[in-house]
Amino acid sequence: MLSDLKRIPTIAVYGLTGCAGELLVILENLDKLLPFVKLRSFPFAQSHNEITPVDIALIEGSVSQPHDLEKLKEIRARSRWLVAVGNCAVWGCVQAEGCKRFSLTEMVSSVYGNDSKIAAMESKPLADHVKVDVKLSGCPINASQFLAVVASLLKDNLPYITHKPLCLECKLKENPCVLIEKNLPCLGPVTAAGCGALCPSMGAACYGCWGPCETPQMDAMATVLLEKGFQFDEVLGRLTTFGAPHDLFKRMSEFKTAEN
Amino acid sequence: MQHYYSFEKSSIGRFFDLINKIGRVWAPVRVSEASFSFKPVSNHEQVAFEALRTILPPKKLFFSPEETLFRFDENSIHEVSPPSEREVLFGVHPCDLAGLNVMDTIYSAHPQDSHYMKRRSKTLIIGLSCLPDKYCFCESMGTDTPKKGYDLFLTDIGSHYFVQAQTPEGLELIDSCRELFSPADEDQRNRFKQFWIYRSQCFTNKFESDNVPAIVDMEWDNKLWDELGQRCLSCGNCTPVCPTCYCFDIVDISSLDGKSGERKREWDSCQIVSFAKVAGDFNFRPGPVDRLKFWYRHKLHGFDDPYGFPTCVGCGRCTVSCPSGIDDIVGVVLQLQGKRMKEQGAEATKGDSSSC
Repeated sequence: MLSDLKRIPTIAVYGLTGCAGELLVILENLDKLLPFVKLRSFPFAQSHNEITPVDIALIEGSVSQPHDLEKLKEIRARSRWLVAVGNCAVWGCVQAEGCKRFSLTEMVSSVYGNDSKIAAMESKPLADHVKVDVKLSGCPINASQFLAVVASLLKDNLPYITHKPLCLECKLKENPCVLIEKNLPCLGPVTAAGCGALCPSMGAACYGCWGPCETPQMDAMATVLLEKGFQFDEVLGRLTTFGAPHDLFKRMSEFKTAEN
Repeated sequence: MQHYYSFEKSSIGRFFDLINKIGRVWAPVRVSEASFSFKPVSNHEQVAFEALRTILPPKKLFFSPEETLFRFDENSIHEVSPPSEREVLFGVHPCDLAGLNVMDTIYSAHPQDSHYMKRRSKTLIIGLSCLPDKYCFCESMGTDTPKKGYDLFLTDIGSHYFVQAQTPEGLELIDSCRELFSPADEDQRNRFKQFWIYRSQCFTNKFESDNVPAIVDMEWDNKLWDELGQRCLSCGNCTPVCPTCYCFDIVDISSLDGKSGERKREWDSCQIVSFAKVAGDFNFRPGPVDRLKFWYRHKLHGFDDPYGFPTCVGCGRCTVSCPSGIDDIVGVVLQLQGKRMKEQGAEATKGDSSSC
């Protein structure tokens, strides 16, 4: 156990390509962690940072530039547990699957100009490049889940993180179903729980920001949305925006073929 | 022996004053254009008397969607006991009473579930009559009349509520306000009988249930299951809304210093892929077809154990809560029985059949 080593466990917090939402959640909850860990590095929140081996490295963001990748490999090499935090790190988020419909060079030139020196690469989640020990999705992550993950790792246990569909979490709150009652394109049936069903609780459709649940029934979801009158492109767009990998949609391409 | 009383519907406010003195009153409240929920109320004006089915069934009061079972530290375990204040659950229809009876059988069997039993024993249950809509099929499941599990049952007989008192607690309530209740007279008893005859004629959504358990086994390989399974979202909506789904998951939550924690349980669903996953990542119900078929069998046939009775009570909650429209139990039974072709499938049941 980390706690048996008679030294304070060390953590480090890093951000790659992302919106810093997870870094903010971690910062907001840092006071709860600090009695039990030593913070070696957190460039987002402090100016003095050490490059030393750590017990737990928490990494936000996806890998979308060569220097992200260098940084990721370097952190991996000196970390006991590497935790991908947030949808970007776990699934790649908008900049991964959501942007796949555009060509990389066109995106770079239209955003940064033709003579840009930005070295963009295809955006990918951390696990596509290095071994990731724990994946904690969210957009941003849920603070309780985050603290539970750290608590488990401090005991040298792999944490339990729910991958059940959001529908179950939503139903336990007894929300009226927006997919059925309002015909909104709610992705609750295929999205991982963990947020507390925030959007449906406010009468809005879940747009899938937590990433897919375990074994999502994407084809059945697409069937339901198509039957409600949504167009194929919109359905595919909604399902992939937050990084759900395209190989979850094999049968959906048959829909497309059948449509044309 | 039951005792029969009545009180004028215009006195429902006084009735609520009375039950509010016992404890917190839960009753159906409208939460959206189409949905209702059992919520705490302080007077009868908040109650949606027209509610047929709430999103979650009354089991939620006794088997909490999530609860802490006990807390622990390095040296001890402290059981968390449910609050002991009395409560009143108002507006429980016959299907939901039948659902509670199933839950009682499961959770009172040895070893008893102390949390469920504590909550159940402190709650006074007041049933309420209803007329079926096009999704109700309690008549087919034999759960269309209030048999047991209530303290008082109110039947709407026009100008009055006809009151059946089944327990000492129910009689005590009536004795506490004799000026409100009168013994039911002959005319009221006749109207009571007429109501239940009329009600049984109102069902449009139904099937012959005698051979259903046998049919479910016989048609285990029917291609209908594959068709339904292909549409199944595995979202788990059908199980929390079911009055008799009693499965739960357990999680331990540790403090950051690893010296204390709590054990929580929350409702789980057999429709979710992780439910049947065991050591070695083996899953004995890996696909949506396996899971859906399992659920249907449990509802219509029961397990092959001492409690092997069908657990569906015909409330229609799963039918209206399935985003994919595959929990049309009546339509599925009729297809399995060979009484309805696929073309006439789910939509035919949901279609024009009007309620009373």
